[in-house]
Amino acid sequence: MGSDTSPHAFRGSARESSNGARAHRVPRITTSSDVRLTLPARPENVAVIRHVLGAFAEAMHLPAGMVEDMRLAVTEACTNVVRHAYHDGVPGPIDVVVRPKGDELELIVSDHGHGMGPSPDATGPGLGLPLIAALAEKLEIQQCPSRGSRLSMTFRSRARGPA
Amino acid sequence: MTTAEPATTVSIASGPLVGPILRRVVGMLAARADLPLDRLDDAVLVADLIAARAPAHSIDDKINVALDPGDRSLLLRVGPLRQGGGQALIVDAAVPGVGNVIEQLADELSIRPEGDTEYLHVLLAYTNGR
Repeated sequence: MGSDTSPHAFRGSARESSNGARAHRVPRITTSSDVRLTLPARPENVAVIRHVLGAFAEAMHLPAGMVEDMRLAVTEACTNVVRHAYHDGVPGPIDVVVRPKGDELELIVSDHGHGMGPSPDATGPGLGLPLIAALAEKLEIQQCPSRGSRLSMTFRSRARGPA
Repeated sequence: MTTAEPATTVSIASGPLVGPILRRVVGMLAARADLPLDRLDDAVLVADLIAARAPAHSIDDKINVALDPGDRSLLLRVGPLRQGGGQALIVDAAVPGVGNVIEQLADELSIRPEGDTEYLHVLLAYTNGR
């Protein structure tokens, strides 16, 4: 199809070495359920997504440090969608899936827009993806200009071994 | 020509997450729809009832709700539900001594069949008298 749909994976967390201690009090994620939220890709809906993630974390008794990492990463991913995915004035959907997988939590942010890439109005240094890669245990990116992009972020809740 | 925005939808697997998440989404969108505090509270109460009762009537193990915030109104579209599930959900929402809470709080309540399934529509709005 000529489009780059191969996943790009990043592993490791910048905070891994600095906050390993907090991982020891992280409960095992036991719920096998998942949550899917679809909203118009508008700035105000990023707050809704953050709020839902907060409710999820509260119900699952996730530790504050992990929740903050997740919320920051999801905010960056969703902001990317709002800013870059749809150019024709009408926001398309932003799709967020929260999926517990054993000791891990997978967060998927996807859109049906133009995929990722430089935007004419982009003036920032482009720290979003590196930040997400630093916060998440694993980051997988799939993008296709005709079908949008998909970011899969994995956050680990179990105790980590010594660095 | 205008293109409609995509709908806001939430899908939650049946279980302990339904209530907390549905309550938050409904509360935020009710606030954005500029519903006054008492009607926002009503919307959250309806969300709690849907979270508690809908799993028994859903066609699968997920609770699906589409939300449409309007001008001082919020429409909840619950489903797909199994046939008869819409009415059963309303009946299940009755509280002894209080009556049917969803019926009392909703400004409009309707059941829309769609193929072998149906959807419960609940409209919460702010009007002068309420």
